[in-house]
Parts: sequence; C-alpha cells; structure tokens
Amino acid sequence: MTGAADQRTLHLGGRAFGPRQRLVMAIVNRTPDSFYDRGATWEEGAAMERVHQVLGEGADIVDIGGVPAAPGADVSVTEEIRRTVPFVAAVRAAYPDLVISVDTWRHQVARELCAAGADLVNDTWGGWDERLPEVAAEYGVGLVCSHAGGLPPRTRPYRVEYDDVMADVLERTLAQADRAVTRGVDPSRVIIDPAHDFGKNSWHSLEVTRRLDEMVAPGWPVLVSLSHKDFIGETLNAGRDERLVGTLATTAVCAWLGARVFRAHQVTQTRQVLDMVSAIRGERPPARTVRGLA
Amino acid sequence: MIAGVAICPPAPLLARELTGLDPVVPELRQACAAAAERLVKAEPEVIAVVGSARRTAVWPADGRLNLAAFGPALGLRDEKTGPPLPLPLGLGARLLDEGGYTGPRLLQSVHSGEPAAACLRLGARLRTLSDRVGLLVMADGSACRSLRAPGYLDPRAAAFDATIADAVRSGDLGPLRAMDHGLARELLADGRPAWQVLAGAMPGRAASTEIHYEADPFGVFYLVAWLAGE
Repeated sequence: MTGAADQRTLHLGGRAFGPRQRLVMAIVNRTPDSFYDRGATWEEGAAMERVHQVLGEGADIVDIGGVPAAPGADVSVTEEIRRTVPFVAAVRAAYPDLVISVDTWRHQVARELCAAGADLVNDTWGGWDERLPEVAAEYGVGLVCSHAGGLPPRTRPYRVEYDDVMADVLERTLAQADRAVTRGVDPSRVIIDPAHDFGKNSWHSLEVTRRLDEMVAPGWPVLVSLSHKDFIGETLNAGRDERLVGTLATTAVCAWLGARVFRAHQVTQTRQVLDMVSAIRGERPPARTVRGLA
Repeated sequence: MIAGVAICPPAPLLARELTGLDPVVPELRQACAAAAERLVKAEPEVIAVVGSARRTAVWPADGRLNLAAFGPALGLRDEKTGPPLPLPLGLGARLLDEGGYTGPRLLQSVHSGEPAAACLRLGARLRTLSDRVGLLVMADGSACRSLRAPGYLDPRAAAFDATIADAVRSGDLGPLRAMDHGLARELLADGRPAWQVLAGAMPGRAASTEIHYEADPFGVFYLVAWLAGE
C-alpha cells in the first residue's frame, strides 16, 4: 500500500487526525426504516442514547442520517430537516467537541445541518446535488466524495457495467474532490469513498475492496462504509443478521490497504479490528504485553 | 574496593516500550531507576554491569539494549546505535544512561553455565578494577513461583529465592557462593552466575542494605536492592 507518509492529515471540526489513525464513524439513523437497524433509533431519545453508547465504545465520529439509502416512501426536504436538524443541534449541545457527520445528498438539508453544528457532509450519492460543495465551503466543514456510478439517489443498481470499476471510482471521486477544493472546501477536510454496493453489483464491490490501495494512493483519506451490506450477504450467503463477521473481515482488509475512516454499526468490534490491524502494521502499540517478557 | 551495588532484574518488560500502552509495572521501573541513581550518586570511578548470557565476555561500552530482539517493530526507534548487547547488559546500560551516568563502564557477561569458582574469581577481579568500583548486578530469582509463571509452579522455588533475598537483606552474600546450579537451572534462575560474581566481589558484609522492591507479579522473583560498600 501507499506509505502513510503520502497521506495527509485529516481535519474534522476542531480535530486533526494523522495518517496512522483509523477512525470509527458510528451510524446513527433517524429513520423508521433503515435496512439494518429497522428504526431502532427513530425516537430521539433512543438516538441520543445510541450517541452516548457509541462514544463510550470508542467512536471517533457519529454519522447522522434521516433518509434510508434504499428506495421507498419519499422523504421530502422538509421531512429530512425535521428528522435530523434538531437532533444534530441536541448532539452538538451535549458534545461540543464531537465530530458530527451528516448523511445527506441535498444541499438545502446540508445547509441547515451545518448551521446546527455538523462538521462533515457525508454525501453517499456521488455528488448528485452539485451545490453541496458550496455549502461545505460556506460553513468550513468537510465533504465525503463518493462513487455511486452516476445513479440518482435512492436507486438500486440494475445491470450496471464498467470496463474497469476502480477506474470509474477513481475518475468520479477524484473529480469531485478537485471540484470541491476549487469551490472552496478545505482540502484537508475532503474524504473519498468507493461506496460499496452503491451503483455496484457484488463483484464490483469485491473488486474495489481488493484494489482499495489504488484509491488510497492519491493521498485523500479513504472512507469505507461496509457494515452489513449486500455484497457481504451475497458473498457469504448470509442474511441481514448474519453479516457481522464478513463486515469485520472486510474492515480488516480495507484497513490493511490504507482506508482511514470506517462507517459502522458495531463500534466495539470495529474498533478492535482496527486496533488489531494498526498493531500488526506496527502503527499502534498493543494495549498490554507481558507474555514472555517477565 | 566496592563502593556500592545496585541489583535489578533483567526482565525485558523493564523496557517501557515493550509493554504497549500499559506501563504494567511502573513501580518496578521506578525502583530500578532509584537503585541505579543511588549507584551513580555513590561516585564510583567505574561501574561494572554484570549479567548472565551465552558466553563470558566483556562487551563494547557503547553497546545498547537490543530492543528489536523482543519487539521487532520497536527496533528502529532505538536511538543509540552501538552494538546490541545481551539482555541483562542492555537493560543495565540503559539504566546507567537514564541515571545520567557518563563515566567509565565495564559490561561483563557471564556464561550461564560458568562454574561457581570461575564466577567468584571474576567477582574478585572486578573488585580490584579501582578504589571505588560500582556494581550493577542484573539478576533475579526463579521463574517458577506460580501456576502462571514462565516455568510453572515449582514448590522448591520459594526456598531458593528466600536464600537470595535473605543474603541480600543481611548484607552477607556468603550463602550465594553455594547456590545449587542444577536447581537454579530447573527453576529458570538464569541469574545464578551473576549472583555468584556478586558474592566474589563482596566477600565482606555490606555496610547497609536497602530493599527497593521485592515481589513476583508474574511468577518470577524480582529483587531490587542497594548495598553500600563494605
């Protein structure tokens, strides 16, 4: 993989994260119908409880979203704002220094969320709304530039094909990153994401995982969002509740290949995988070593 | 003449880097640092560091702890560049460095199978290095003091270690001359030759003794002590 020396320091909120730090971004859904948690944190109290919990478990970032990725009942801009903005404001009030990411593709929503205290706009839909960088620049926050293969938000891939999926991922995400910087987003706050499953069949997602080092090489911090996704389910013939091991295995591979931010449901387990990989790479001391050393 | 003796265990985990994020035994490290400091403050003209190894030899005075042998990922962080030393000497050299000692040092290893008579002779020779010789003895007791000990529990370990502790505490090192080699080997007490070098170097009784640490947190008997010269 690319040496850590080629990687830049990532700034999010008031924090600076070095190239060797591997960050857990904990998912907090304000949706009644997201695929994995099925509305577990739809109630604001439950969602705040989850924030307390994931921070206790070692999350570095929370990622708050109000619209599921899958197709379904329309969620209007107004409704998305209603679901997320007061909650982001409440989390910000409770944790002044916490890095808050918001999962939205709409600039109108992003603007309200940034005003409420968000530090990072996590655009999973590949820059569909071209005005998102403006908002990120205006508020001095970060932006995730992802690859959805040009698909509109909340659509599923159907017979998608690529001559070279990683080439397409690189072309689109790097172009978005450059555009974001041109429009005034702080380059030290730009992240790229291959967006597993988005605009990809499972073969494509496996391919971008295998070749993730190519995405790390240009130097932008790479985020991966793997948790319980369909490519893992299809690979292992595993139902939605049976994908944790596959998720963690993929997490380890991506970490080894240089990814730096890991969007996840299970913080404790993800943290352990990342700490293990960091120790194997010699980038983090083990917690406590005594065996054979007495 | 012996100006004073510091005794510390040659446990790799004395090197703070090796225990990861957890300091594990900060009190042991502090005790060793205090003993080494005591030795330096006694103003010896030369300090001889003694520890057991695969051969009896004098090592280059600029030698350093071979951290990479125990934590390969840590090797590159070692700032000093001298030749790598056997573990007890490497740890001893580091203790002297950390204690601010810059005077002459003699790094003496003793073969782990060296007979008692040879160890005693070596000690007697070290004693005559100068009028004020400081000794840093890197030795510990058995490694068989509990079920989780490196050598498992051996009921003979307690008495074996008590002999060492009593001798050091009393300042009369005579009983160390007769340490049982076979038993020492079975109890993984690698420090045996170093203890006998000490006995040879200090035939008279120490003027005073201080025990800085005495415990077996991992089933290995650690003793940190300071002996004032005869």
